Amino acid sequence: MGLLTFLGGIHPYEGKELSMEKPVKEYLPKGDCVYPLSQHIGAPATPIVKKGDRVLVGQKIAEASGFVSANIHSSISGKVKAIEPRYVPGGSKVESIVVENDGQFEEIDFAANVKDLSTLYREDVKDIIKEAGIVGMGGAGFPANVKLSPKNEDAIDYIIVNGAECEPYLTSDYRRMMEEPDKIVLGLEICINLFDHAKGIIAIEDNKPEAIALLSEKVKDNDKIEVHVMKTKYPQGAERQLIYANTGRYVNSKMLPADAGCIVHNVDTIASIYEAVVEGRPLYSRIVTVTGDAIENPCNLLVRCGTNCQELIEAAGGFKDGVVPEKIIAGGPMMGKAMFSLDVPAVKGTSALLCMTHDEVADLEPSNCIRCGRCVDVCPGRIVPSHLADLAEHGDTDGFLKYNGMECCECGCCSYVCPAKRHLTQTIAGTRKTILASKKK
Amino acid sequence: MENTFKISSSPHVRDKRSTQSIMLDVIIALLPATIFGIINFELNAMILILTCVVACVLFEWLYEKMMHKKVTISDLSAVVTGLLLALNLSPDVPVWMAILGSAFAILIVKQLFGGLGYNFMNPALGARCFLLISFAGRMTSFSYDGVTTATPLAVLKNTGDVANVNVLHMFLGNIPGTIGETSAVCLLVGAAYLLIRRVIKPVIPFVYIGTFAVLIMIYALASGRGFDLTYLAAHLCGGGLMLGAFFMATDYVTSPITPKGKVVFGMILGLLTFCFRIYGGSAEGVSYAIIFSNLLVPLIERWTQPKSFGEGAELAAQGDPSGTKSKMDTKSIVVATIAILIITIIAGFALAYVYKITKKPISEAEQAAKEEAYKTVFADADSFESYADFDADAAAKILKDAGFNDDIDEVVTAKSSDGSVLGYVVTVTSHEAYSGDLQLAMGVADDGTTKGISFLSLAETAGLGMEADTDSFKSQFADKNVSQFKYTKSGATVDEEIDALSGATITTNAVTNAVNAGLTYVQSIGGGSEGTTADNGGDK
Repeated sequence: MGLLTFLGGIHPYEGKELSMEKPVKEYLPKGDCVYPLSQHIGAPATPIVKKGDRVLVGQKIAEASGFVSANIHSSISGKVKAIEPRYVPGGSKVESIVVENDGQFEEIDFAANVKDLSTLYREDVKDIIKEAGIVGMGGAGFPANVKLSPKNEDAIDYIIVNGAECEPYLTSDYRRMMEEPDKIVLGLEICINLFDHAKGIIAIEDNKPEAIALLSEKVKDNDKIEVHVMKTKYPQGAERQLIYANTGRYVNSKMLPADAGCIVHNVDTIASIYEAVVEGRPLYSRIVTVTGDAIENPCNLLVRCGTNCQELIEAAGGFKDGVVPEKIIAGGPMMGKAMFSLDVPAVKGTSALLCMTHDEVADLEPSNCIRCGRCVDVCPGRIVPSHLADLAEHGDTDGFLKYNGMECCECGCCSYVCPAKRHLTQTIAGTRKTILASKKK
Repeated sequence: MENTFKISSSPHVRDKRSTQSIMLDVIIALLPATIFGIINFELNAMILILTCVVACVLFEWLYEKMMHKKVTISDLSAVVTGLLLALNLSPDVPVWMAILGSAFAILIVKQLFGGLGYNFMNPALGARCFLLISFAGRMTSFSYDGVTTATPLAVLKNTGDVANVNVLHMFLGNIPGTIGETSAVCLLVGAAYLLIRRVIKPVIPFVYIGTFAVLIMIYALASGRGFDLTYLAAHLCGGGLMLGAFFMATDYVTSPITPKGKVVFGMILGLLTFCFRIYGGSAEGVSYAIIFSNLLVPLIERWTQPKSFGEGAELAAQGDPSGTKSKMDTKSIVVATIAILIITIIAGFALAYVYKITKKPISEAEQAAKEEAYKTVFADADSFESYADFDADAAAKILKDAGFNDDIDEVVTAKSSDGSVLGYVVTVTSHEAYSGDLQLAMGVADDGTTKGISFLSLAETAGLGMEADTDSFKSQFADKNVSQFKYTKSGATVDEEIDALSGATITTNAVTNAVNAGLTYVQSIGGGSEGTTADNGGDK
């Protein structure tokens, strides 16, 4: 059987060798921590602490304010300094809780949260996951408990752990798989047991043979979990492409994965579910890859959410001598967000800090489309990006919808390959946002 | 803020491939054919290639400067256009025509429609067809080794016999044709490079050539030729098929961007090329097939929009079987394909038959004009009939042996009302005139008397050489029974002598020699006054 994959996609420079073999080191923040109330898709959380309150590590400081929303926990101990708008990696200002770090890292009693798994009902497990504030940690930030509560639970056939990590440079999921494979297998078992018919799939790209070998060994006696090897290709880890590669089922923009009987969780999310259910720890830390050609010692750090990004750069040895990076990206180079400042907190969805000495995009001025069709070839959504970008530029929303513009997953492949260096993804994404915003009204 | 970094929307990395590098690859891929063209057609080819490339780049630069647009000559697309145009020209065309073609390609087809990416047809082919329509004679005159000759494809079309062409030569390229089209093997090497470098996809050229080959084989079988692979090979290697299929049909801008559209496009090209080559007036059909198909591209694209990832999957998920594989999809593709094919067939046959429809009236008009000319040079005759024993090769040999380099184009017999042969009217072309060729018709009676001459084509200097077309000059040839004429500048005294046109000795010489060539020929077929026995002596 050939490797599992999808039609389209690209093979950008991976850059993973910079940090792939660097074991995860825990980094404890020195300065204040900032907790934006919106680190997830959905309604911002509501603060339940006020200025002057002392909080502990793992203490809930803001509460979900709706069905699609998530709790937020403190990752340090100290006093609440302010609740005010702060910049987040995405570049906007978001209402945030600022906690002054007292350096004690005094924890709440996590053991008190732990319940005997065998006595729990499914709803109780989902409540624990909800209480722990777990959101999709691949970047989208969809609350995990919502994903695990589909309309029709009987229809769920597969729970897929997304270990593709197809974004270049990122190695946080790889390190998690290598260092804590049991958390992933057990975390996946917890999820499988929420459904009657679900099977588990751990899907990994073939550029991580050691992780494949390790996890295959762990699940060899488990008849409910399989390790799937996928072709190394971007965006192999995009949800719809991942589902198609592993199950042959299609999901489009009008559907949720659950409509195709699938639930997809990121590796880090699954590990967090394990930590929440088995260890009683809410989500307050994650693995962040600090990398790029401007970084002295590219590495993987276990980071407390809310830690200032400047500190993370310093923890990675700072910038190389005499190097001033032109661009710093929260996340990978394909879908990550460029940051104008390092004075922002690492949040639940921050998988990496990528520091590039040179911004290659800025050099390349867009020119006329030569209609080479490369964007069509690589588009995993099988749409015609050049045409959609044209429609978007002319503000033709009807045409944009007619030619399936909403099927774009903003993976960036079209912009990547465009020899005329046109800003296809950017243009299409802009129009998608406008259309989505007008739908909500 | 002390540290600010560059901000842009994702993605933040780009592939190395650029428009310039793609164009460079196309140029590299064209090099084998270009170099072969220069070896094959020598200096002329080199001059034309350089002219077209330089002119295209220059016109693009000038236009963009004048219009205050960003100068984009560094993307090399103008170089590609220039190179392709040159490869599509006969090595015999004059330099000014190459410059005119370059101007048409860059200014009219490309820049006026918005520059690179917006041209509605391939600029090089647009220019070729423009030149072909404007200067049909020069564009389709191919010389090889210094001799004007027909291309193998034309030979194949005119004689219908594949034994008259050398397929191996057609494959290697040492045949007459346009500069870049002759060598199939060089073009294939370039095509392989483009495919390996993934500049082009195999779909369009392979579907194109495949469709064409299948139709040719069907035609060969239907026309009683049988399963003739040599005939197929001659059609594949002949003309501009390889150059067109791999280098011009695959032009990004003017071919469909959708995967299914590429298949449809290739099929249309194959069909049109087949129609034009087999049923059309000219032996070649690739250029017109491509530019016509270029015009269909927006339509093809509209009908071949790809199905997006998981389109209709939400219906399948709800148990509607028409979900992922909806019938509508197949149906609409079939409808679209049929519609496009019908348009193509109608257009293809219409274009091909325009020649046939117009052929008769045109030839009738030409015939009438000729009859009139014959009448003026042989007033006694009542009717004219094509001379059945006329053999162009034999005539050429006779004239060559006699020291003439004129051509006998046509010979007709002049008949009286009772059907008896009175003499002949011979059409002669002289290459010795002051500017270009001159053509004249001359009547020679059976007894060798020159009845008169009339010019069919004369383009000499007004007031000097053009004076040849006056009755006072022409009448000097009329009704004189001499074996050869000669001209004099000191006043004609005997029948043999013709008064030279003042200031136009060259023209006089050309006319005199042409008339003498005609006389020599008529004498050779027994109508002369030298006393050779006439075959039909009874008519005397």
